[in-house]
Amino acid sequence: MAAPCSRMANRPLWRFITNVRRTGLKHTGVRQISLSSACRAATQTRSKTEGVPSPWKLYGAVCLQRLPVISQERNPIEDQFAELMHQMELERSLLSDHEQRLLEDSERMTRKQADNYDSDEEEADYGGQETITAQDQEDTWEQKLKHFQPALRDRDVGGTPLGSVERCLGDSLVLLVQQTVGKETIWLLPQAQWEAGETLRQTAERGLSSLPEADFKATFLGNTPCGVYRYTFPKEVRTERCVGAKVFFFKAFLSAGSASQKEPFLWVKKTELQRYLKPPYLEKVDRFILNL
Amino acid sequence: MFLSLMGVDGHVSQGPWFASVLTLKTSAPLRAEPKKKKKVDPRREQMVRERLKKKLKKLERVPPELIPIEDFTTPAKYMDETRVRGAPQLPFEESERRALLLKEWSRYKQTQHRAEMEAVGLAVEAQREALEELRLESEELYQAALRPDPLLFPFNHQGPSYTPPKAQYEAPEGKYNNITKVYTQ
Repeated sequence: MAAPCSRMANRPLWRFITNVRRTGLKHTGVRQISLSSACRAATQTRSKTEGVPSPWKLYGAVCLQRLPVISQERNPIEDQFAELMHQMELERSLLSDHEQRLLEDSERMTRKQADNYDSDEEEADYGGQETITAQDQEDTWEQKLKHFQPALRDRDVGGTPLGSVERCLGDSLVLLVQQTVGKETIWLLPQAQWEAGETLRQTAERGLSSLPEADFKATFLGNTPCGVYRYTFPKEVRTERCVGAKVFFFKAFLSAGSASQKEPFLWVKKTELQRYLKPPYLEKVDRFILNL
Repeated sequence: MFLSLMGVDGHVSQGPWFASVLTLKTSAPLRAEPKKKKKVDPRREQMVRERLKKKLKKLERVPPELIPIEDFTTPAKYMDETRVRGAPQLPFEESERRALLLKEWSRYKQTQHRAEMEAVGLAVEAQREALEELRLESEELYQAALRPDPLLFPFNHQGPSYTPPKAQYEAPEGKYNNITKVYTQ
């Protein structure tokens, strides 16, 4: 493994030198390297090893998320706090028009029932109209509310299948597909192998669009990968040229799309990922899938 | 009658006010010397005009009246004293419960914030590792990854609502009366 080691050592040095020359590139790991004899030797050796490709196969994968459609249910403590806030606001507020009307009506009732009631005086003030008290109005409104049937918030009561996009409207879901990698078919984020002449983001887009019988319209969030998963092939498959593979993940939000139910798609929440993904893969993927 | 009017010459002259048609009609003011135009006059008129203009400018220099912000003025009907709600007398248990609930809420929010910060930190770390690995692979892919995406912004997304949207729902068009006050400066 001498050749790869030296190549790995030389490549960063050359990269950093080119970094120093190029301005406008903000990279936290840049170190100021003075051109010493060692570096010159490195550049010479690097030019020899330019033609040898890296032993890692590159894949571009997409982490397609369907963002939540409805707001989440409140926790018990959130419920209590919301109630407390509402109560405190009510205590600190002024009386509304409706409440004033209620007070006036109740006062009028007490005056009517008193002994020295002068109906002419009262009706002169109000112009003799038929008065509907505010209390009556409140009662009619309450009756109407009882008859009203609001639509169900979460249509998931029946238990929609895991492959449907409509499940768990309050959480963000991630797309999983079943693909054959090596000898096994496993659940993973949709990926495609990198071909020369395209950027990794284009690889990921190709991986998404090449899914059979599904058209998802996604907005990719930038050109930068959000995570990487590196694994080495088992010994039988390993050769001089390919030691393993690196999968670069790109984030995308689902804007529109549909899929037939026949194909093996899964829309899972972050908590359900562990049922389907392998542990080392899950470890890397779990980090960049935010459940916020 | 005409014979008596005729003078020695035989001309008809009925006094100095009645000249014949053939002569030029001249009157005393017409026969006077022509008026001398004073050179100061146009200048005086100009001065008068300038003074008027200056007065107009002074009047116009008044700063424009500021448009009142209607949200900042409390309407008069809320300053009414009869609207004041009586301050409630809370029992001791109730005030205790409220204080404890507020403390629990602050603890809950603190744990939530910490979890959020941790999650974001992990995501940033994952991205940094990905860029490192990509760099080790190939420089041009790394540079392509670092380039900003011009098509990403402006980014629009409809946030979550309380109820899910109905499929094929057509909102009815309604009439409205716009009663906002429009001020001109």
